[in-house]
Amino acid sequence: MRNRLALVGLMVLVMVASMVAVGIAAEYVPGSPLKAGFIYIGPIGDYGWSHAHDVARKAVLEQFPWLSTVYVESVPEGDAGPTIDKLINDEHCNVIFTTSFGYMDDTIAAAKKHPDVIFAHCSGFKRAPNVATYMADFYQVYYLNGLMAGALTKTGKVGYVGAFPIPEVKRHIGAFTRGVREVNPDAQVDVRWIMEWFNPAAAKEATEALIADGCDAFAFTEDSPTVVQVAGENGLLSFAHYSPMYRFSKDYCVSGELVHWDAIYADFLAKIYAGVYTAHNLANVDYWWLLGQGAVEMGAQPGMPINPAYVDKLKAVTVDDPVLGTVSVYDLIQDRIAEMSDPSMVFDPYDGPVKDRKGNVQVKAGSRMSVLQLTTMEWAVEGIIGPWPGEP
Amino acid sequence: MGWETWIIATLSRTLAYGTPLLIATLGEIFAERAGVLNLGVEGMMIMGAYSGFVIAYTTGHPWLGILVAGVVGAVFSIIHAFVSVTLKANQVVSGLALTMLGLGLAGVLGRGWEGLPLFTPIHKMTVPVLSSIPVLGPILFKGQNLVVYLTMLLVPVLWYVLFRTRIGISIRAVGESPATADSLGVNVTRIRYLCVIFGGFLAGVAGGYLSVAYRPSWTQGMTGGMGWIVIALTIFAFWNPIYGLLGSYLFAALYHLSFRLQAWVSPELLKAMPYLFAILVLIFVAQGTLKKKMGAPAALSVPYTRGEE
Amino acid sequence: MTAPNWLKIERRPVASGRTVFIISVLAILAALLVAAIFFAAYGISPIYAYYLILRGALGNMHGFSETIRRMIPLLLCGVGLTVAFRALFWNIGAEGQILMGAIAASGVALFSGLPGPLLLIAMFIAGFLAGAAWGLIPAALKAKLGLNDVITTLMLNYVAMYVVLWLVHGPWKGASMRGYAYTDMFPNAAQLPMIGSTSIHWPTLMLGFIAAVVMYILVNRTRSGFEIRVVGENPEASRFAGISQFKTTMLVMFISGGLAGFAGVGEVAGIYHRLLDPSQISMGYGFTAIIVAWLARKNPLAVIVTSFFFGILMAGGDVIKIQLRLPFQLINVFNGLIMFFLIGSELLIRYKISIRRR
Repeated sequence: MRNRLALVGLMVLVMVASMVAVGIAAEYVPGSPLKAGFIYIGPIGDYGWSHAHDVARKAVLEQFPWLSTVYVESVPEGDAGPTIDKLINDEHCNVIFTTSFGYMDDTIAAAKKHPDVIFAHCSGFKRAPNVATYMADFYQVYYLNGLMAGALTKTGKVGYVGAFPIPEVKRHIGAFTRGVREVNPDAQVDVRWIMEWFNPAAAKEATEALIADGCDAFAFTEDSPTVVQVAGENGLLSFAHYSPMYRFSKDYCVSGELVHWDAIYADFLAKIYAGVYTAHNLANVDYWWLLGQGAVEMGAQPGMPINPAYVDKLKAVTVDDPVLGTVSVYDLIQDRIAEMSDPSMVFDPYDGPVKDRKGNVQVKAGSRMSVLQLTTMEWAVEGIIGPWPGEP
Repeated sequence: MGWETWIIATLSRTLAYGTPLLIATLGEIFAERAGVLNLGVEGMMIMGAYSGFVIAYTTGHPWLGILVAGVVGAVFSIIHAFVSVTLKANQVVSGLALTMLGLGLAGVLGRGWEGLPLFTPIHKMTVPVLSSIPVLGPILFKGQNLVVYLTMLLVPVLWYVLFRTRIGISIRAVGESPATADSLGVNVTRIRYLCVIFGGFLAGVAGGYLSVAYRPSWTQGMTGGMGWIVIALTIFAFWNPIYGLLGSYLFAALYHLSFRLQAWVSPELLKAMPYLFAILVLIFVAQGTLKKKMGAPAALSVPYTRGEE
Repeated sequence: MTAPNWLKIERRPVASGRTVFIISVLAILAALLVAAIFFAAYGISPIYAYYLILRGALGNMHGFSETIRRMIPLLLCGVGLTVAFRALFWNIGAEGQILMGAIAASGVALFSGLPGPLLLIAMFIAGFLAGAAWGLIPAALKAKLGLNDVITTLMLNYVAMYVVLWLVHGPWKGASMRGYAYTDMFPNAAQLPMIGSTSIHWPTLMLGFIAAVVMYILVNRTRSGFEIRVVGENPEASRFAGISQFKTTMLVMFISGGLAGFAGVGEVAGIYHRLLDPSQISMGYGFTAIIVAWLARKNPLAVIVTSFFFGILMAGGDVIKIQLRLPFQLINVFNGLIMFFLIGSELLIRYKISIRRR
């Protein structure tokens, strides 16, 4: 009996001791080996959002010999807090990347609890001394894709399969539409929502519905190559989203958007390693990285901005630009890439005047949208047809 | 846009999306007719989708892929048959376990197969001459694949087997009153095993259809809950292959329309429509006299042991 | 079934609680033995893996908190399901009932303006009623029209899901969420208290324990409970005894839906503090609870044990993902295996199998 009591007492002691032990996390010393933890909302095999983050994780892991990483996939929003705790207590991570908007509040709360750990939250807007935010955004690339779609559509109707009607997707559809209409002022962009980030069957039927409504070129936001495949099967054009999808429809996939989260991860981690970023000076660190910073790339496959089969066709279509004069769409795209890659941002897809589809002027002539306006954008750009939940 | 194009597009999508639902529903109808409820359809389908894709991708033969998908579904369903028929365990739980196991296994095995296009899918075909018939031609004979037609052919065949043959009588007897069937010399265990395995085969084929024909590539979780719709459709069909066809096609038509009608109705609510509609149709049917003729197999989900009951 | 004649199979009169427990434990051990193959295949010592999983789920306050957090909704839904299953009502719709509870609680939290402690009480009442109402629909359809309960409850899950989606993308979208699909955060008074620094929202846990006890008494010691059992075990007899099948069905689904509604309240008021994407609110609790209820052999008190067990499995899944770096889908494989072994062992509980002496 006494032995048993002693045993229980010992176990309690060990438990308490281990709890105390894990509560202490030392602050990262610049120049020492660094361990980064990544938390993903989906499975790494989704071939979309989480897949792209994991590709980037592997890329930086290869780049930096002093870096080690650990990742956790398919973490529901409610599990973010405990998962962060585990990564810090059990895995001793110095840096935590939380890669979904829904993790925002838990990231901020965890940052308070672990003031010595460095956090970076993707796509959110709350920061702290030890929490930075980051986002690689596509709206410029969508605009470039739109230029091509506008030049290549024959029916004057371009389809867009959207995941959820949130500002990020609305901003992309808007920029895409700006591109389409710049080349083809009468063209329309028809939208269908599938209300899921990933659902191949829904994406397929949404695409088919758009085809039935007369669309002949497609862009989309969904974590699978379905739209590219369905468009290709029907001999219609498509623009890839997020991951390399050229091989899913070599004859009809014109271009697309590719993300390079590794550009952001490499910059952020290198600065921590060098002691530039610490757990005390991140309150104003917000990566809003675009073409200029190399966080995004135009194309359906790395290194191939435009499917070679369509280069001549794009050279054959011309537009009258008030600044550039009469140029081919191909040259216009090159100019725009150069302008948008320029750090001084000579051009922005949302340069005023921009009207919403109800006829109100949303961006005045000569002005431009702020990052805040872009990230909270709810209105639909002129030229978009179809449902628009939450339209002001 | 004229009404003709609406009808053509809707019905043609109905066939394409309804086919995998129909295939799996036909299988589940047989399992349930023999008295075995199998909630593991989602698990068997995803295993079929995975194995079908892998075989079609590595060999270049999509039909072999579909066949293997069916075999894998069948083998997988034996677990359920063993647990629920031989061990007489609860079928609801066993089916749920099968779904979990299938989603898990396919997810684990499928790592690294994502993002690969299948260059040799089952292609769509256009039947010459017939496809130029107005309205019907484009619906039936343009842009569909062979699986769609084979599935349609399967419906009357299975109906005939179930209602007009000896084996069909045995199956239904086993599902209605296994003790009576047993006393008449029907091997209850064997019939139940065969029906569950046949159901697993068709669920696997349905999964294979998804990854080899409908959307030729593999992503984990690509069945996206279709297995659960199949469970509902089986009940909706009153365990009759003919109604199974109607139910699957009706659901598919509504699913298509839930994207087509978005210009007028809120997309979130529209997406709930097929599910609500299923309930409404059942309510409507229940008002009529059909109800009495079409109950569930009396011994559905009841294990059978000789000498008990 | 034809058994080889050297085996002797006879029906046990009634298996004692001890027998059930021992056989269940043995079944779990057997499942772990088979699952060990997977760990070995990934080059991880199974013993080390199980040690980590157990330590991760129970070995410290953190893991324990995660286990209990998962247990809470399973307990509430599971207790409700035992009552429904007793009356042979196959409620596959706890998932939707959870969501309706979450919706009602969110509505009260955000728009009622009730003060202080009244707010949480009102949220629980509203959540219960909403879950119950969602459960009463299939109950009425079955009792009045003979509609199959599996299909109606299953379909209503989807409907509930899209109602939540519609709310968070439409009328209830929060002004402070920058367009993302969430409602605003609940006021502090609408957030459940936790035990210490854990994420155990104890009022919901208490409700779960109370529900288990009350339902045990209801089922075993009251007239209504007797009627529920008769309807479930012998529908013919219930008709002769003048028991209203309609009333009984409505009663069990009022309870089952309501308790699932409680679980929904707990998730939004305890964990998320807002309404959000339906797939994030309930991580399949409604489906897992079916297994929990069945493993408890439809005994509400035993659900406390089985829901705790599944809490461990779910919390242990974190270890598989984080420490062992294995694909998260392995969790499903393990759970599936454990379930198969557990239900497979049912035969041993109902029948006594021995080797015949020649």
